[in-house]
Amino acid sequence: MPATMSPLLRRRENISGYLFLLPSLVFFLGFVVVPMGMCIWMSFTNANMDINTPTDFVGLANYVELWKDPVFLKGLRNTIIIVVVSVPVVCAFSLWVASAIYRMKEGPLSFFRIVFYLPVVTGSVAVTVVWKWMYNRYYGIFNYLLKNGGIIDKNINWLGDQKYALACIILILLTTSVGQPIVLYVSALSNVDHSLVEAAEVDGATNTQVFWRIKWAQIMPTTLYILIITTINSFQCFALIQLLTSGGPNYATETIMYYIYYSAFKLQRFGYGNAMGVILALFIAALSAVQFRLAREK
Amino acid sequence: MKKLLALLLALCMIFALAACGETKTEEIKEETKTEETKEETKTEETKEETKTEETKEEAKTEETKEETKTEETKEEAKPEETKEEAQPEETKEEAQPEETKEEAAGATEITLWTYPIGNWGDEATVKALTDAFTAETGIAVKVEYLTYADGDDKVNTALTAKQAPDLIMEGPERLVTNWGVKGYMVDISDMFDDTDKAEINAAALAACYAPDGAAYEYPVVMTAHCMAINYTAFKEAGADQFINLDTHTWTTEQFFQAVQALYDYYGDTVGALYCSGQGGDQGTRALVNNLYGGTFTTADHTAYTWDDPLNIKALKALYDQAGIDFDASINGGEEIANFYNGIFKMAFCWNIAQQLNPNSAGTGAGLTGNGDEIVFMAFPSEDGTAKLQGGIWGFGIFNNGDDAKIEAAKQFIKYMCDSEHTAEAVRASNFFAARSAAEGTDLSGVWADNEVMNEYTKILPMLGDYYQVTTNWPTARTAWWNMLQQVGASDGSEGAITAAVNEFCGQANTPAA
Repeated sequence: MPATMSPLLRRRENISGYLFLLPSLVFFLGFVVVPMGMCIWMSFTNANMDINTPTDFVGLANYVELWKDPVFLKGLRNTIIIVVVSVPVVCAFSLWVASAIYRMKEGPLSFFRIVFYLPVVTGSVAVTVVWKWMYNRYYGIFNYLLKNGGIIDKNINWLGDQKYALACIILILLTTSVGQPIVLYVSALSNVDHSLVEAAEVDGATNTQVFWRIKWAQIMPTTLYILIITTINSFQCFALIQLLTSGGPNYATETIMYYIYYSAFKLQRFGYGNAMGVILALFIAALSAVQFRLAREK
Repeated sequence: MKKLLALLLALCMIFALAACGETKTEEIKEETKTEETKEETKTEETKEETKTEETKEEAKTEETKEETKTEETKEEAKPEETKEEAQPEETKEEAQPEETKEEAAGATEITLWTYPIGNWGDEATVKALTDAFTAETGIAVKVEYLTYADGDDKVNTALTAKQAPDLIMEGPERLVTNWGVKGYMVDISDMFDDTDKAEINAAALAACYAPDGAAYEYPVVMTAHCMAINYTAFKEAGADQFINLDTHTWTTEQFFQAVQALYDYYGDTVGALYCSGQGGDQGTRALVNNLYGGTFTTADHTAYTWDDPLNIKALKALYDQAGIDFDASINGGEEIANFYNGIFKMAFCWNIAQQLNPNSAGTGAGLTGNGDEIVFMAFPSEDGTAKLQGGIWGFGIFNNGDDAKIEAAKQFIKYMCDSEHTAEAVRASNFFAARSAAEGTDLSGVWADNEVMNEYTKILPMLGDYYQVTTNWPTARTAWWNMLQQVGASDGSEGAITAAVNEFCGQANTPAA
């Protein structure tokens, strides 16, 4: 704002600015801030659906119970496995694909972008139904191919066997998660300053050196963004679990997100579910902060 | 100039938001309008609905058209006076005292949420029923169709948002045990007089009452859940010798012999204890409980007893039997699909509605997708007499604090469950009437013209205890299928099975904190 602006004009500018902000602010407050506050408050209560049982303040009881709950701990373990596996794989795979396609002509480039982005825009229910069919123990395509290929002699119960179930979920998650990072990386790589690349090449830098010393540094903000959204998506993996396994078999695919839903809406323990929600939010915030810090240091 | 435009735009948005708020006020104003205006609005609505109905009628199949026409003709043939005269004195007084009638009419519209209970999940069928009710009472019924996959979540969300429907149709395990005892439903015990109590099946009536004596459901239909076999496959494998086709029964020994024969013949899965979720879980419970006479709950429905050694023996026997799988990747619906596809030779999730349901392959009712004959069977037990899991369905009223709507909802219940129209409501469900007669109309002959239904009545006397009203039911239900998953994933030793059973039965008996 120019220093010479009169107070009256400044006030008018401020008012119009706030008026512009107002509608989104109302929604932000109503649908984000207030529910967040309610969530934190309810996590300290025994809130449930029973009208006859008054909601009482229980302090940290829900949080204490969480750490003694074997299902929550199993869900936490599974969630961490999903994050640890899917985040690096999604980032590395999408960077690799983007590096391979970003110099292509418009036609092939669009084709690959569509192929990888399609699972993102397809409804999660539709995607899940297709995967469920492929994983089907009795007539799924995986068992059909493996059996006819002589690799297995008995059908595998992909989603019903705790040895495979979580891996199956992660595989689906990967296919639905790489689309956006690929598009972002293609865009970021295309925007890398070519004069720097050419200068490095003239100075005798190898392709690997060019990539790590110039391109990688320039796409770091995109990488940071991708890391954060992939981490959040992996932490919040819910629809796949709900539609495919309901957390089974034997809690092998239980995640915190699914357990929140189960506790709050199936057992109607809102207080307990909210406590888990707070823990999940803290995990995501902590991990995002670490990612930010590491990226900034680099 | 630009700033002015921006300011105007922002103001427009604010006014738009404010206008949204005012719409509600308008709606409230609408509600407080005079009775005459309401009547006009009601007529308009009815007209519109009639139009929609006409359009839909055109799209209906020939058969449905004929049925509807017959119903309409019946309705038309009845002069208004005769209709009123035909109503017994008691009904008239109970259902529509003059003041109440006006109040109920004041409600003008009630909402009904229904789960897919036979054709009560079919819009065309339900619309015919509710339209007839609207024509007689002037109360419009707005229906929303729930699924078992997410219906509970929708209702719970609506309850917490204070947006619950006026009426809901489902079984006592939801209406009584879940929402009723938690204080969301209206006590409708005043709707049961001595005649009703005498006419309604005792088990069904008892299930509608909560332990505190309040009634939260009015039953309309009931059935006994059973299992089904692929009779063609049984004959091919020579396993048909192990079943009694006349009584639709078999002993535990015969069941295992039949499974072995089928497994020896086909070399693949014969049947599965599906346990990916709660869908159709009554089938697996009934199988396990019946094999050696185990129990699921105490007789007074205060505790879960599935850690009974007889149930552990049954689980062990099922685990050890070749051809029986504990499948954590499918639920009851998917089991039925696999049965229709010919993959399974028996299904544990079955009832008369399934038996009457023409399969999606279009081969007809009582047949699998490739035309194999399906025969319904009682669950196997040591002496061949099973205790079948009952299914009871009826209506309950959510307490939304609007007396007029509650009265209107009661009128709806009376109309569907205890009037000369009850037979139609029963037929729509594909199940059996929960009472012998309704206001003088004998309901025992509702399915007299249906051979399959008549055959099914052979197993109805085996109806067992309706234990779904036991305290902590939602937790217990989930614990059951989680237990099956753990048993299936175990090494099958008696110790491992006992540990799984004890762990989850313990969970079921522990009330949530």
